[in-house]
Amino acid sequence: MSTRVTTGMLSQRVLADLHRVNERMVRSQTQISSGKAIQRPSDDPFGTSRAMVLRENLDGVEQFQRNVEDARGWQDAAESAMTRMSDAVQRTRELVIQGSNGSADQSARDAIAQEIDELAESLKEFANASYKDQYIFGGVRTDAPPYGQTPAGDVSQAQPGPVARQIGPGVSVAINVDLGAVLGNGAGDDRLLHVLRDIATHLRTGDGAALRTTDLERLDAGFATLLDARALNGARSNRLDAALGRLAELEEASIAQLSATEDVDIAEALIGFSSQQAAYQAALKAGANIVQSSLMDFLR
Amino acid sequence: MPISSFYGLQTSLRGLLAQQRALDVSGHNIANANTPGFSRQEALMTASPAYVVPAATATGAGAHLGTGVDVIQYRRVRDQFLDLQYRAQASRLGYESARSEQLDRVEVALAEPSENGIASQLAAFWDAWSDVANAPQDMAARTALVEQGNTVGESFKTVIGQLELVAAQASEEYTRLAGAGGEVDMIARELAALNTTISKFVSAGDSPNDLYDRRDLLVDQLSKLGRVSVTDSTDGMIEIAFGDAAEPIVSDGTVNWPQPLADPDGRLGALRDVFKPGGSVEQYREALDGVAGGLVEAVNTLHRSGGADFFAVTPGDEAASLRVAVTPQGVVAGASGFAGDNAIALEMAKLRGNAGIDGAYRSFVARVGTEVRQAHTQEANAQALSDAVDGRRQSISGVSLDEEMSNLIRFQRGYQASSRAMSTMDEMLDVLINRTGRVGL
Repeated sequence: MSTRVTTGMLSQRVLADLHRVNERMVRSQTQISSGKAIQRPSDDPFGTSRAMVLRENLDGVEQFQRNVEDARGWQDAAESAMTRMSDAVQRTRELVIQGSNGSADQSARDAIAQEIDELAESLKEFANASYKDQYIFGGVRTDAPPYGQTPAGDVSQAQPGPVARQIGPGVSVAINVDLGAVLGNGAGDDRLLHVLRDIATHLRTGDGAALRTTDLERLDAGFATLLDARALNGARSNRLDAALGRLAELEEASIAQLSATEDVDIAEALIGFSSQQAAYQAALKAGANIVQSSLMDFLR
Repeated sequence: MPISSFYGLQTSLRGLLAQQRALDVSGHNIANANTPGFSRQEALMTASPAYVVPAATATGAGAHLGTGVDVIQYRRVRDQFLDLQYRAQASRLGYESARSEQLDRVEVALAEPSENGIASQLAAFWDAWSDVANAPQDMAARTALVEQGNTVGESFKTVIGQLELVAAQASEEYTRLAGAGGEVDMIARELAALNTTISKFVSAGDSPNDLYDRRDLLVDQLSKLGRVSVTDSTDGMIEIAFGDAAEPIVSDGTVNWPQPLADPDGRLGALRDVFKPGGSVEQYREALDGVAGGLVEAVNTLHRSGGADFFAVTPGDEAASLRVAVTPQGVVAGASGFAGDNAIALEMAKLRGNAGIDGAYRSFVARVGTEVRQAHTQEANAQALSDAVDGRRQSISGVSLDEEMSNLIRFQRGYQASSRAMSTMDEMLDVLINRTGRVGL
């Protein structure tokens, strides 16, 4: 079909073409200046959804990192408290050997018993360690110290139960150790406090045989439970370190993917922009020539 | 009977007059080159009825001697079929461009992707639960959680408010266009008035070209607002059906508007699809209610295992009514009630990225994005088709100034030649009248 091109059509078409090129230029310009390929969901619905997932992941990773840092602070506090408990138990052992020795007289044994009582109190003091205002050996009762500071306070107030931190998507890890199973309630359970109180009694009563045999064995057994608790804590620290490493990798990967999804490829965008500019200038030039010329210019 | 000596003068006169009329038409076309809806006109010339030379004459008996030219009609150059096509496309373009406009506003209201959208607020809400899990007895963390819960509610409410605004404004525009005294009404009234005027001319045997143009332009405008169908009536009048209105809105000289519409197509159709029950805004609202409902359900179920509901909502209007129902003291971190028990807070934090909450919101955003994108594509398609039909119509009916310039020259020359023919006759008669029989004077 041969088209009869009229004057109105010409100017309309020139304007429509200019408008189209202009629109593309504005879009490129926005992308370049914002650095984002996706301004609104309709620019790329699938990409938007993907970017939202990645952004969410990234936000989660940052929170998990904070959680892991918090868990590590907690475990460091527990480790240092348990280290000092170990020292105290070691010291107790030395004193038991010293006191069970026949060469020590009763007054010396009384002095030793006195020191053992002090050590028992310090064990409880270490067990009352706190991190960020939370008693770390209180089980889920983190708002009250597990032990009182008199022999009457030997009964553990701890409420056994897990205190956990989320360290990954759907992954949480318990961070507290049950120290009640190590220190006990001071009587009737053969745990460390009970053993220490017994030792003090045996020293005062001069029961050297009990000191030399059962007390030492019970002390060693109690010490073993403390070491087990430390080992558990240490293993968890390793797990937290590993989690931190994994989170760092996840963060890096998420950032890279997010950037690939929603950031604009500047080089590509600039090249596109330049060619659009060239097209715009060409359209302007051609349009100006077409719209201006008319048969009237040539008729006399 | 011989042929009159003055015969040729009359023939030339007809030529002069006809060329002059044609020049007038070109002048009219040029003057209206930029008038919207104008169709170019042309003077239709035809040879006037020939003079049959009688049998008794000396020469050329029975021959048909030309008598010159007559302008029999001023024709309006227009293709009615292209008008039909154009109006169908104009209705579609009216629909698609209005839809695209309205959905754009919904998309902007979502403010995604950004730091302020619902997605970011939800992420911050899960963060706040994690912080409570890390320090369950810390009142600052609990207060921050309650605040963040309310902020999530505010974000939902803001988006719902924007959606309602879009619907309200669409409804308002619809009423302004389709109501009594609105644009449809005005166009219908002018069309009825034009019908009456046109019928007077047509019954007198005239062809009111410029009134036809004006009427066609009005029908074009109407077709952008809704589907239009035109039926010819008597005396050049037309009957116009609009959208799915039961009665024709213009019938000869009478107007029947407003009438109820259900699916009018065109701009009105798109506006209606936004605010009508079950329309876009209501669907989006329901989707958001679903997301908010999923959030409330999941959080409250966990929270109830150790206390009261965390969120309070009005059923059926979840998104707009979402708010936190507990005080910071009332936030339940663990079911046992011990200060360090964070089991519930941990479970809450694990809801992050949940398919029924964050996932549902994400698919909602993607759905809006897809629909807006489709609307843009449809609009571009409709625009291209409408431009193409309009181009073809322009190609037939539009004024080409170059063409009119060459016509001017053509008819000017025709006029000059006719007057030259008349001068020649005049000189011939001069010889006959003033010089014949004056031998020797």
